[in-house]
Amino acid sequence: MKVVTMYPEVNRDKCTGCRTCERVCPVLAIKVVDKKATVDMSRCRGCAACEQRCPVYALAMVKRDDPFTVQVKVRDEMLPRIKEICARARINPEYIVCYCTATRAEEVVAAILEGAATPEEISLATGVRTGCKVECIQPVLRLLEAAGIKPARPEGGWQWYGRTITAFEIPQAVKAKFSKRGFYFDEDIKLLDKVAKATPTKEGAE
Amino acid sequence: MRPPIKPMPPRKSQYGIAPELVKKRVADMPGITSLLVSELFPDSPKVVFPGDRGIEAVRAATEAALEKVDMSMIKPNQSVNVLTSHHGFTLVGGEPFAEMLRTIRDVVARRTGCENIRLRAGVGLRFRETEEYIKRFRLDEHYKGKASGIAPIDEGIPIETEIGTLYGIKRAYDADWIIHAHNSDVREVHFHRQVDKVVKPFGMSYARIETRSTYHHNMGPRAANFTARAIFDSPFVQDKFAFTSFLVASPSGVVGVDADNNLYALNDRLTAAGCAFYGKIMTLLGQIDECIAVLDFPCPVPYVFAAGVIYANFAGANVDLFDLDNALPAYTWYTEAFYGKGGPLVEEVPPVNPAIKMCVHNYAWGGYPSAFFAEHIPTVVVGREQADLMNRDPQNLTYMNFATIADGTDAAMRFARAVTGTDKIIIFDGAAGGINVSESLAGLLVARAPEIGRRVDQYLLPRWLEQRGMDISVLKNLKTA
Repeated sequence: MKVVTMYPEVNRDKCTGCRTCERVCPVLAIKVVDKKATVDMSRCRGCAACEQRCPVYALAMVKRDDPFTVQVKVRDEMLPRIKEICARARINPEYIVCYCTATRAEEVVAAILEGAATPEEISLATGVRTGCKVECIQPVLRLLEAAGIKPARPEGGWQWYGRTITAFEIPQAVKAKFSKRGFYFDEDIKLLDKVAKATPTKEGAE
Repeated sequence: MRPPIKPMPPRKSQYGIAPELVKKRVADMPGITSLLVSELFPDSPKVVFPGDRGIEAVRAATEAALEKVDMSMIKPNQSVNVLTSHHGFTLVGGEPFAEMLRTIRDVVARRTGCENIRLRAGVGLRFRETEEYIKRFRLDEHYKGKASGIAPIDEGIPIETEIGTLYGIKRAYDADWIIHAHNSDVREVHFHRQVDKVVKPFGMSYARIETRSTYHHNMGPRAANFTARAIFDSPFVQDKFAFTSFLVASPSGVVGVDADNNLYALNDRLTAAGCAFYGKIMTLLGQIDECIAVLDFPCPVPYVFAAGVIYANFAGANVDLFDLDNALPAYTWYTEAFYGKGGPLVEEVPPVNPAIKMCVHNYAWGGYPSAFFAEHIPTVVVGREQADLMNRDPQNLTYMNFATIADGTDAAMRFARAVTGTDKIIIFDGAAGGINVSESLAGLLVARAPEIGRRVDQYLLPRWLEQRGMDISVLKNLKTA
């Protein structure tokens, strides 16, 4: 769940049309049209990635007159599928995928069940990846994969490159070579597995 | 009692309120005293900064450390990226770290004849932060216009590793050679657990979001550090790696500079040093039974620090942060992610340090997801401006849902004392070499320090080092004062 309170204002005199903003936007809300950045206000989730990476400081974040909330409601009839997909991804449905918006795995899967088939569409629906922009891409990709979806990367964009390894997939040889150096691979796998299989709390079942 | 140590002054930044809006520092209030780390633990290492020689001591230490480094691989017509990140710029005011970076450039240019030397400075979650430091410390001038910030959403480059493809930031690696320049403070020990501390920036500061997300979601709290080692070990990085230089930090200040062509040799020395230098102060702070914690430093909420220890460490100090047999500290993002709607999902998740009865946020920045702190620790934010700052920060939109606002510092402290019933106050304000506390808390810490010192030396330190596959003897090669 994300409250969208800000949007980027473009200083057209400064904008050089370099497309950096377009390449970093996690929801594809900003595009260069006629050599100037143009914001689609209905898509923008106020993450400030464009403002933070513009090489000529041509963008400024300003308050929206009409703040709104994006959220995908986890409906009861979705729960069996949510549990199934989360189990396949080895992520607990209540696991917090995005620290900035406190979005849980179950909401990400609910977005997928409602038709979101890329990280960009999931971000648009739930707000994940529109806080710090950094930490939540892997669980999003893992949950998409577990739902049987192989998303396409935005053409020419830097939004994301690919899923990476999980602890469950670390080769045995690597574990054997480095476990005496403070890398507690097997112990952490046990912990992650226990979290993934933990029974949702009373509140979680609501 | 000693007078308080002067706190680090407010800094102009897009991530914090204007310095003039910080009307009062908690260290200046009645009843606040200070403790020097060297008095609490008389065997603390000697420091070169702060000291009589000023910043010149850091330049001299860097030059001496670099003397034994082989730079012959760098040819005059080639390019070099000096890779670094944001953290060092808040350490003892930031000038020592900046001076090490300046000296590296000067020595490399002098010894190799190479002039195409760039500074590439990574960031945490505030993508303009190193740009601010580059300007503040005039590193752009020193690097002849070739200093820039790099962020994890910048263009990426795939790096093939023994655990599959990971992703670096392309501009970090767009040179013939890279020099890894960092500092050894252990502020985020709750994440790296002092495992491969020196290698970690390859998985964070120079890495794309995919890699950073791997660290924080895919690997587990103690296995995650391998992500960085996998990148560093890759043929791609090995072919470019020239050497490394670290500002050696301790809770008392800068201890020296250590440099090496062998990153793992340096890693062993600084891992042991980290456990030895910081283990006592962290363990001592874990002894506090009740307190009001004050944030009063130009950094995001978890990173505000004093005596080398950050607030996030203190929020986890009810657990031995160095002991790898503890699956989780009381606070990391893994811990946070494992909190279900009704509480922790598994019993291994410890509660946030119950000694912190209230937090007074007198001055701290946004730019790091911090709502967890306000949700778990009663928090009073001083002034509407700071509340507004958090409310417009995309990483903290719910921080103020859990915090209350006081008009001024006096009112906030009075409220905190009245509600908690404690007069023990610990201030995270960047005090160099020590920590500002209330007189009542000072008494407790002074009384407990000798026993903690003994316990760390005799029992805990050998255990921490054994868990990391090393022995205290590696410290004999550390280049310090």
